[in-house]
Amino acid sequence: MPDENQKLSSSGPNAGTHRVVGQPVHRYGGVDRVTGAQRYLSDITFANAAHVAFATIPVGCAAIDAIDTSPAWAMPGVIAVVHADDLPQPVARFGVSHKDRPVIATKMVNYHGEPVVAVVAETEDEAHAAANAAVIHYTELPGVYGLDAALAGDAHLVQDPSVRPRDDLNSTNVLEQVEYAWGDVDSDGISSPTIIEDTYTFPMVTHFPIEPGGIVAAPTDDGGIEIYSPVQHPYLLQRTIADVWSIPLSRVRVIAPDPGGGFGGKQTPRYEPLIAFLALKTGRTCRLVLSLEEAFQLMRRSGCRIHARTGFSESGELAFHEMQVDFVVGAYADVAPRVMTKGSYVGAGPYRIPRVSINARAVLTNTVPSCAFRGFGAPQVGWATESQLDAGARALGLDSLEIRRRNLVEHDEAFIRGDYEARSDGRWHESLEKAAELIGWHEPTPSGRGRGIAVGIKPGATTGLSQSLVRLLYDGSAMAYAGTSDMGQGARTLWKQILADELGVDLDLITIISGDTNSVPFDLQTSASRSTVFMGNAVLAACEDIRDRVLKLYAEATGTAQSELAHSPGQLVTPSGAIALVEAAQTALGGLRGEFVGQGTCRLWGEKGHPLGGDAAFYEFNATAIEVEVDHATGEILLTKHVTVGDVGTEINPLQVVSQDEGAAIMGLGHSLMEQMLFDDNGQIVNLGAIDYRIPTFNDVALDMQTASIENNDGPGPYGCKGISEGALLCTAGAVGAAVADAVGTPVRELPITAERVWRTIRDANRDSPV
Amino acid sequence: MATYCRPRTVSEVLAALANAEGRGRILVGGTDLLVHLRKDPFAPTVVVDIKSVNDLPPAVEIDDDVVRFGPTARMAEISGDPFIAGHLPALGASARVVGSIAIRNRATLVGNICNASPAADTVPALFVYGSTVTLTGPGGERTLPLVEFFVGPGQTRCGPDEIVIRIDVPIPDRGHRSAFQRLTRRRGVDLATVSVAAGVDADARIVLGLGCVGPTPLVTDASPPVDLTDPAAIEGAVEELVSIATPISDVRAARDYREAMVRVLAVRAVQSATAASGGVSS
Amino acid sequence: MTESSLHPTSEVAVALELNGNLVHATVPAHRTLLDMLRDDLGLLGTKRCCAEGECGACSVLLDGELVNSCLVLGAEANGGVLLTIEGLSMDGVTDLQAEFLAAGAVQCGVCIPGQVMAAEQLLRTNPDASRDEIRDAMSGNLCRCASYQRIVQAIQAAAVGRRSDA
Repeated sequence: MPDENQKLSSSGPNAGTHRVVGQPVHRYGGVDRVTGAQRYLSDITFANAAHVAFATIPVGCAAIDAIDTSPAWAMPGVIAVVHADDLPQPVARFGVSHKDRPVIATKMVNYHGEPVVAVVAETEDEAHAAANAAVIHYTELPGVYGLDAALAGDAHLVQDPSVRPRDDLNSTNVLEQVEYAWGDVDSDGISSPTIIEDTYTFPMVTHFPIEPGGIVAAPTDDGGIEIYSPVQHPYLLQRTIADVWSIPLSRVRVIAPDPGGGFGGKQTPRYEPLIAFLALKTGRTCRLVLSLEEAFQLMRRSGCRIHARTGFSESGELAFHEMQVDFVVGAYADVAPRVMTKGSYVGAGPYRIPRVSINARAVLTNTVPSCAFRGFGAPQVGWATESQLDAGARALGLDSLEIRRRNLVEHDEAFIRGDYEARSDGRWHESLEKAAELIGWHEPTPSGRGRGIAVGIKPGATTGLSQSLVRLLYDGSAMAYAGTSDMGQGARTLWKQILADELGVDLDLITIISGDTNSVPFDLQTSASRSTVFMGNAVLAACEDIRDRVLKLYAEATGTAQSELAHSPGQLVTPSGAIALVEAAQTALGGLRGEFVGQGTCRLWGEKGHPLGGDAAFYEFNATAIEVEVDHATGEILLTKHVTVGDVGTEINPLQVVSQDEGAAIMGLGHSLMEQMLFDDNGQIVNLGAIDYRIPTFNDVALDMQTASIENNDGPGPYGCKGISEGALLCTAGAVGAAVADAVGTPVRELPITAERVWRTIRDANRDSPV
Repeated sequence: MATYCRPRTVSEVLAALANAEGRGRILVGGTDLLVHLRKDPFAPTVVVDIKSVNDLPPAVEIDDDVVRFGPTARMAEISGDPFIAGHLPALGASARVVGSIAIRNRATLVGNICNASPAADTVPALFVYGSTVTLTGPGGERTLPLVEFFVGPGQTRCGPDEIVIRIDVPIPDRGHRSAFQRLTRRRGVDLATVSVAAGVDADARIVLGLGCVGPTPLVTDASPPVDLTDPAAIEGAVEELVSIATPISDVRAARDYREAMVRVLAVRAVQSATAASGGVSS
Repeated sequence: MTESSLHPTSEVAVALELNGNLVHATVPAHRTLLDMLRDDLGLLGTKRCCAEGECGACSVLLDGELVNSCLVLGAEANGGVLLTIEGLSMDGVTDLQAEFLAAGAVQCGVCIPGQVMAAEQLLRTNPDASRDEIRDAMSGNLCRCASYQRIVQAIQAAAVGRRSDA
């Protein structure tokens, strides 16, 4: 069995001939999805389930004065009406980085949509009617809904200092801050011929999964609980429920139906501890199905404001880059501090810069707590850095491509310097050049259009643990147990492909088990595009473990010396030639039959002192090129071309790579062109729901869109692969911004680049320099 | 909670509305009504589904000088009708951009005016053709110009005991040209940020219908005859006409952007109308 | 004229032809066709997302036309003929569904039943739709995984297949 604790390293292309890996195998679970047979959380029926609904108040910040539950109790079908006073005191708080989120709003409402009262009733209608009847008396407080308000000297504190008593910053709304610097950080004395200084903003956007989600909690006879939740991290949820309600892990079973879209929004527990409490209190199975509006109030990306100052040499080399980065994280920490530290860590981009200074803060506001979202902080900071590069290029008479050619690091060159440097783990110039080629950069831009090219980088997981079991059954079928949540990325398809090749089993004879903590071994989480690398390696190791076991038992059963046997993917090599592993396994198992069970683990230890807890297992790198046509009178943008190229290592399933790349790229158009959560003066979300929160449709995709991959087999995952699912979103905004600036002559520095903002930019530019 | 009935005759509809004492809501397509029901699910709304009423006027009736739309005329029929495309192009074009195919299969023209949104896509075009609306109620039928029908956002002159039975759209004389222009936040299905329908008669007088720039859709007076070959003349005429616009800032756009866009779209609508055949862009 | 047609009721008896079978249900007046399908008739393939006609996840064919079942009352379906994703898939995966799989159009999958219904209706009503027409016609069906290009490709491939079979 391979050493499970070794540092991940590039394994290079497998020597064996791949039969299935590298092929466009159709998605596991695809047939159920096209026929409507797939059961998502809200499609699972429970006998005698009670239904949960929440009462909220229409402001973002208030003190709860009194709650009159009697009108709710008087409604038909009501089983329980619960608010903070009904929970064990003090009300438990939980969270991955800070234990700051209460199980239910306690004394205060800190964002619009925070549940204040939970009703359990016999039907969904009855639960909503009763929740609507509950009366919440409150006093609205001067909440902070934006950065300036939150950072003002006399700002309302989103969190009472008692929530984080040992924190030096607890009398401010700064939750955490971090500083990265290398070189001579005091750039004032540096004489760069070209210095660009500007401020950029990135909007709060919401995940908008087509499955808004929900939770079902069922008490069990042994005093434990079963939680059904479409979470990306079932084991984190299990641990949270066990911690909050003091139940042993063994009696907390998490069943995680496939998430109907995750994108980072379904990682962390939020309402699960409350629904568990309701189930334990009432003894009933309690079911909560969220509306899309409630999903908006559950998950969003951090907004961000970046002030950047960048110096360039005469020939366009970066001399220094300074940034003050403020993330708008919302009312509770969730994983936002990590988003802030990780996103700003790569804030200076994949460039060769002698002097860098990045100061980043996670700032609390009375808004929906932000969480992970595809790109994890990198798109926010990258928007500013990429825009600065283009501003420098314009000032120096270079174009988007040329300035990147001059600054992008070469293979194995450090782009983060200092005590914990990070080096390029790919040949990133190849991606840049490929994107330029695909958009036809060398051809003149058609009249009236503009072009931009940008690059993006995101650290993959910095620590990790994935464990897998694989069973090779007597009849030649096989099962893999892998805890990765299959939320659309198609993880199980890859495990099938790996099993098919490594064990020589037909694809149709492979079953993958996931989403149940009672039967599937531990997996840390499904995030950071880690699964293909981490769980992939674990599954691969489990298959190799099986081949070892087949070899040993075959030797015993046939009286062959082990030294005369060897195995390779799908085969056992015997003195009389290679035979199919499945055949060898049958021979080895003999009349008693039975099966082989293999175990595989992939573990990445962190590095003490490293600002991210360790260097990334791999970097996602992407180059995006965009061509636009801008209507100068209205500001409307038409995307004529959109090209993205990812540095993927190896495509295990090219069809899924294309799906993920196109999906990420189009999702990136959302925050680039149209998406933003808007709040009123009382902290209410103004565009709460699909009618006024716009996401890209079929018609918003570029007229010509292409994605491509660079395959150098240089990743740490199986067959040299890297994680890929976020790359194509990382620099969409930068490329759109550069293209629009190219078309209209002036950049837009606020996202989304709406028609209105483009119009305003053109108007202001004309005002400043009348023709 | 809501209640539902499905009367068979107009008189039954009126009886149901009378009994509902102001809580009655007419249901045909439901694309607006169901959104309202969802937002206020506990109100005792009386849903009066008139799709089985057998003495309603036909959905679309084309006469010599008028096209009559009954309560069941759906956007899908209107946007796909070649006669409408040829004679009432701004109306056909505006019906074409209402929601998605699934929405247009349900949403009705009468419903679009009764919802009385300042952003109602078809109203600027209906204005430009000088449409009238006919209501029926306990006191019998009455007809009023569509411009007088709207009172404010979501408010019309249709009483709680009345229903809109018909919209009459006069077929313009030969030589009249019209077009529709709309601005949205994305290229796919969207609500309008600003919309404009332009009608240009044989004497080159311009009338504009304007959406999203006032508490109700607006219509201008007719301009004096304009030299349509002179862009500056068109711009000048438009500038005069759109002075009636009083846009506000909201979730879709700021006031000053709307003020600027209503001018841009109006000029384009006039130009589009007077180009070969008239048409739409959005 | 019947009493029940005139007097508003809070419960409505509904009889409709659902995927070829006559079914009956009695539902509250405010219940949408979507919720009736899912909660009263147990057909869970039609998905619920925005519930206000913006996302298309609940697309079904009512009397041969594409509708958002969240914007139709269950009561309105009385006497209607309804085809849902279950009915479309009754004999297994259709050519169109197979093309969805082959094109890599299926990611998380929640929007897919609605996409399939909208695409099927498009193929039935405009079998020669151009790429632009497909994009436009499908714009009422949101996919947050953004499989849009894949879905267009699947529809085009199915259209080619149907033309060659015709």
